[in-house]
Amino acid sequence: MGMKKKAATCKTALIVILTLLALIYIYPVFLMFMNAFKPFGEVVSDPIALPKEPTFENITYVVKKIHYGRLFFNNVMITVIGIVGIVFFSSLAAYILDRRRNRYTAMIYTLIITPMLIPFQTIMITLLKAMNVIHLDQSRVGLGIQYWGFGIPMATFIFYNFMNTIPKEIDESAKIDGASTWRTYVSIIFPLLKSVTFTVIVLDVMWIWNDFLLPLLMVNSSNKTKTLVLAAYTFVGQMNTKWQYAMAAMALTVLPSIIIFIVLQKYIVEGVVAGAVKG
Amino acid sequence: MLKTSKRKRKEWIETLCFTIPALALVTIMMYIPFVMSGYYSLTEWNGIAKDPVFIGLENFRKLFSGGSIFVGTLWFTIKYTLFFIVFSNVIALALAVALTKKFRLANVYRGLFFIPYIMSMTIVGFIWKFIFTKGFEKLFDITQFGFLNFSWLGDPNFAFYSVAFVGVWQALGFYIVLYIAGLQAIPGDVLEAAVVDGATSRQTFFKVTLPLLGPSITTCIFMSLTNGLKVFDIILALTKGGPGTATYSTTMQIYQEAFTNNNYGMGSAEAIIYFIFVLITTQLVLKVMSRREVDL
Repeated sequence: MGMKKKAATCKTALIVILTLLALIYIYPVFLMFMNAFKPFGEVVSDPIALPKEPTFENITYVVKKIHYGRLFFNNVMITVIGIVGIVFFSSLAAYILDRRRNRYTAMIYTLIITPMLIPFQTIMITLLKAMNVIHLDQSRVGLGIQYWGFGIPMATFIFYNFMNTIPKEIDESAKIDGASTWRTYVSIIFPLLKSVTFTVIVLDVMWIWNDFLLPLLMVNSSNKTKTLVLAAYTFVGQMNTKWQYAMAAMALTVLPSIIIFIVLQKYIVEGVVAGAVKG
Repeated sequence: MLKTSKRKRKEWIETLCFTIPALALVTIMMYIPFVMSGYYSLTEWNGIAKDPVFIGLENFRKLFSGGSIFVGTLWFTIKYTLFFIVFSNVIALALAVALTKKFRLANVYRGLFFIPYIMSMTIVGFIWKFIFTKGFEKLFDITQFGFLNFSWLGDPNFAFYSVAFVGVWQALGFYIVLYIAGLQAIPGDVLEAAVVDGATSRQTFFKVTLPLLGPSITTCIFMSLTNGLKVFDIILALTKGGPGTATYSTTMQIYQEAFTNNNYGMGSAEAIIYFIFVLITTQLVLKVMSRREVDL
């Protein structure tokens, strides 16, 4: 009985400590949102307390000033283009490379996944020149397409390892029914890849949506093509002392990610864990 | 005979059609720029104006001849990565153990710790820049704790810890969920058996849980290694590499060399050394860890 009581006290103490830690841990995010609703004077005089006279002025100012709607659309567009291509080309390649295993397909597979070893900074300088030559720079569609090349190695690796678990008999019975390889991929294999496709989508959305350096190199010169993070970066740089606007811009930039995370927490965490274990 | 070879050919054409898009994209975005970097590292080139001038290994000689800060940036990257690996793994493991205890809000707390990870690192850098300056100033007014009055971003010694701390803060949630997944995969009866055998909770943790957590630890250490070596966004937002060059990571140095100083040739040489450095480090760690895992 005494032991049990001690264990219970221990647990309560642990939960109290954990609660404090969690609150301190998340406070900086909370602080950003709070300051987005304060007038200038209050941000300066008391940056860490709740707003005394909350105002939407910062938010409306920033939404108009940085063209939030357009930036949001740019982000969605670039991310969607990137994801669709990565998922399609990677799963297609992984499917055939797994089903037709021989010396040559093994070589192709190695060639596709090896670039995982090349850090982005190693190629960024010359990438800019290469993309300029084929006119994929300074364009949102071009940026989306570039993500195909960067996302394919990892995605192919994940799809390829998963293909193992889909029995070959399925292909064979489809073949007997007269389905072509393409048909089999579209109507049988791809639907069976659902869980791993989801993992790839979670990982790549988090990466592309928040990516900074590649957009900085490729779409920074025009306001029309900027992404959310990029615009926030420029804007905060200009608002050096006007922290209330900077905070509003930052809050607006991360808000979509946070909302999506709160709604899909379980699935996002699952996808991230699966991706890390497989990758 | 003729029929099989015809079928084979058809199969090959199919295989190529299915794989060529992936292969071509990877070649255009990664292999070609990589080879170009190799070539430009042997040249002097300012990017646009004139053609690159071939100068052999001159760039590499300059990088290691003492006048360049490049070697210093490698040291910074090593120091940062070590700090990042140790602290993100130790803290994440401790929090993961606490968060796998059964209580009502456990899931909410897990979510809270994960939120910074889904945020853009640039924004994270800005938030902390605000806290280190304005936030700490106000807290100091209230509490008078001396450490709040330090120049956390302006002093070369402190700046390193500030940057590394923010790096850990941003990524912690990721390692927490990986460790939670690992902890939940440990069968309950193994732990019960240890308790029945009279093991204290500390013994259970170090003698049973930790060894069984081997694969998770390997994954987390490897992920934190590669992520640590890549550090860039946070530094750009927090300190821009300063004060002076105190928080210049190698990635930062490559970026500045190429796009601020317009030394594209020199930047490419740095990029190539960075590649070799990352390759050797990751392969070495991978090898050591795979050997360790067999021992367990």
